[in-house]
Amino acid sequence: MEVIYGLLPGMLLLGLVGVGIFFWAVRSGQYDDMDGAANRVLMDDEPVVDEEPEDEPTRRD
Amino acid sequence: MSESCYHCSLPVDDTEVFSTSLAGIEREFCCFSCQTVCQTIYDSGLQGFYQRTPVGETLSPPADVPPELASYDSDEVQADYVDNLGDERTINLLIDGIHCAACVWLIEHSLAKVKGVISAEVNLTAKRLRLRWNNQNTSLSTLLQRLGKIGYSAVPFDPDTAEGALARRHRGLLYRMAFAGFAMMNLMWISIALYSGADQGEFRNWFQWIGFIIATPTLFYAGYPFLRNAILGLWRRYLTMDLPIAIGAFTTYSYSTYITVSNPVHGDVYFDTVVNFLFVILVGRYLEAISKKRALSATSRLLELQPKLATVISDKGNKIVPLRSVVIGDLILVKPGETVPVDGTVVEGQSAVDESMLTGESIPVVKTLDDKVVAGSINGEGAFTIKAVHILRNTALAKIVTLMEEAQGSKAPIQSLTDKVVPWFVLITLTLATTTFFYWHQFNFEIALLAATSVLIITCPCALGLATPMSVAVATGVGASRGILVKQGAALESLSKVSHIIFDKTGTLTQGKLRVVNIKAFTDLQPDSLLTLAASVEQYSEHSIAKAVCQAAMDKQLDLLPLTDFVSSPGEGVMATIAGKKVVVGTQAWLLKHEIKGKKNQQSYINELEQQGVSCVFIAIDGELSGLFGLMDELRDNVKTTIADLQQQNISITILSGDRESVVAAVTAELGEVTRLAEVMPKDKADVVRQLQQQGEIVAMVGDGVNDAPALIQADIGIALASGTDVSIESADIVLSHNDLQQVVQARRLASKTLHTIKQNIVLSASYNIIMVPLAMMALVSPIVAALTMPVSSLLVIGNSARIRKLFER
Repeated sequence: MEVIYGLLPGMLLLGLVGVGIFFWAVRSGQYDDMDGAANRVLMDDEPVVDEEPEDEPTRRD
Repeated sequence: MSESCYHCSLPVDDTEVFSTSLAGIEREFCCFSCQTVCQTIYDSGLQGFYQRTPVGETLSPPADVPPELASYDSDEVQADYVDNLGDERTINLLIDGIHCAACVWLIEHSLAKVKGVISAEVNLTAKRLRLRWNNQNTSLSTLLQRLGKIGYSAVPFDPDTAEGALARRHRGLLYRMAFAGFAMMNLMWISIALYSGADQGEFRNWFQWIGFIIATPTLFYAGYPFLRNAILGLWRRYLTMDLPIAIGAFTTYSYSTYITVSNPVHGDVYFDTVVNFLFVILVGRYLEAISKKRALSATSRLLELQPKLATVISDKGNKIVPLRSVVIGDLILVKPGETVPVDGTVVEGQSAVDESMLTGESIPVVKTLDDKVVAGSINGEGAFTIKAVHILRNTALAKIVTLMEEAQGSKAPIQSLTDKVVPWFVLITLTLATTTFFYWHQFNFEIALLAATSVLIITCPCALGLATPMSVAVATGVGASRGILVKQGAALESLSKVSHIIFDKTGTLTQGKLRVVNIKAFTDLQPDSLLTLAASVEQYSEHSIAKAVCQAAMDKQLDLLPLTDFVSSPGEGVMATIAGKKVVVGTQAWLLKHEIKGKKNQQSYINELEQQGVSCVFIAIDGELSGLFGLMDELRDNVKTTIADLQQQNISITILSGDRESVVAAVTAELGEVTRLAEVMPKDKADVVRQLQQQGEIVAMVGDGVNDAPALIQADIGIALASGTDVSIESADIVLSHNDLQQVVQARRLASKTLHTIKQNIVLSASYNIIMVPLAMMALVSPIVAALTMPVSSLLVIGNSARIRKLFER
């Protein structure tokens, strides 16, 4: 059972990493728009229309 | 053929049909702009937009695009908004007209097709667009034009100045909540280990130290707001809810630390209680903060949506300049369709101006020489020049926003029932704990500390803290399903105690929509043929009076006649030639212009009508006055029964209006014994509320316009109609989503049921304390007993609150 002397701090460390990631996510604005992102995933397919767009998209990202 | 507009789903007006063939199917539109927007969407191959729009979602008709887009290309203007003036620029735009995720899709895809756009990201919650483009390949005005073509108008803004401090505070709370959540989850493992036997063996102290390590930062970082408020409250000699939270958390923490450090054979640590408690309360605080943030952002958004440019007339010709460089006394040209940029007086030209954003009045007001216009109102079809009188922060609109902020700041938070109980509760708890400690201290210090702490832990206001929020949460859900949206829970409590309700007239009691109520012929023509002639001429006018006349003709199923030589003058009237006869329809001024005879004989009749609040439109045929139409803004359905119901419950009613006294009296004549206050200026509405409050009344205000907003906030309860402006909705505590005034009565029923339940809950949690505290004082409560009984009291409170759901089921 001595293993828990190492496991518990390890658990805390992992947890802190999680908190750190969350703080980073908030800071980079990922929680600013909860509705838009949720819906965007569903909107991105192109199921209904099959017409050619006028000109080529120039989106780089 | 569909009954509603293919683009915005609004009903199609049969008098004017816009239809076009899209992908082989004939589609109908309510207006020309819907038709063009839809055409553009199809032309760019983005018709998937319509499949993506949720069923039942009503888009509003496309926003008007400000005509002066080209001036946004100048570096002088952009300097305030873009990050740098190099080739690749980033700008934040506030978008008007976003409703749902399909709009996001449309905007992003449509912009992505434009050459030179690097990225376009829409934030649906804040209705914003972050746009990055290459200034070599395209220009900002081209992109704004593109947005305009698909029906959205955009205004640049600077997010840092707009909401810096508030957003930072909001984020701080989110961080604290996240940290407490992390601490709670990890500490749970330790607690489970300790409860299931680890507190006997060799790891006991190790587990306790881990608990200490987790709980310490949680208390001082996540719990900082509570500790701080508690100390501030003590400083001001006021017992707040934060005090028992802080004392409970702090003593529990100190006791556990004492056990951890001294490591006696008996005694348990309660680090998990501290952390769980803080987490749950932080979640509540965060939810509260979200709704506050929404309210504030709507207000600032209103200001941000105002035009950023003005056309200044000088000796060297017209020049478009950023609004902040306009000085008082400048002459400013307002073109058709533009939003008036500053408050001023008209020095040249005339036009009908839509002031609905400020007054809720849907009928455009004609402005001529020396009339005052206010920033934020939208110009109709004419152009005029104004002399700037108030600019930027001094405009009437900015003042209303300031008034709202003041009211928000000065209004004492609604004293909910628990808030009143809490100071006594804290006092009693502290006295009991101290007494316990000193009593047991005579025998044994260890037992004394243990007993005193368990008194504090047992009384830790869990069930009491849940009493109100839980009832309010259930009531909010029940209300929402009935179309009563409760934005601020505490409002429900005070709504049941309201003694005086103030209704705004225009748009709230009335529909804000004109109807023909009276047709009077002065010659031997039949009223119906008069109506046919008038409607035939009016059918090409967009004015609300014209629409009312056409509607009346349609109700009577009259066929409209063909006409020639149509002339329209905004705010005055129209004329045309029908079957060789010259028909003139319009205001008195319009008749004078065309030298119509025969008006003098009818003057007394006209005066009498106008006394009754009926606005008159005249019709003249071949230069002779032949009749008039009386138009009135009618009361909504149910208004009479609602007011009667409320009066039966001993609530006094006041009706507020900016209209003339005779008009108010005439429109509200059938409502019986109510106080009527006419000609109340927007800024005085809040004062009316304040005066009633000083007389000891608990006041609810029902309104819909921006000008009602300060009063909605000042009132103990603000109730807004969903058809009202965004700002009034955001400043209200309760929103009636079906625009049915009868809901005011229902909301009151819901409120009294909620208050009743809250009282029951307080009794429940108090009786738990009455049983447990004496046991704790006798040092008889073991941790297991405490752990079992605490959830039971909370569960009772939750179960009792759930009963509110049955209110409307019977």
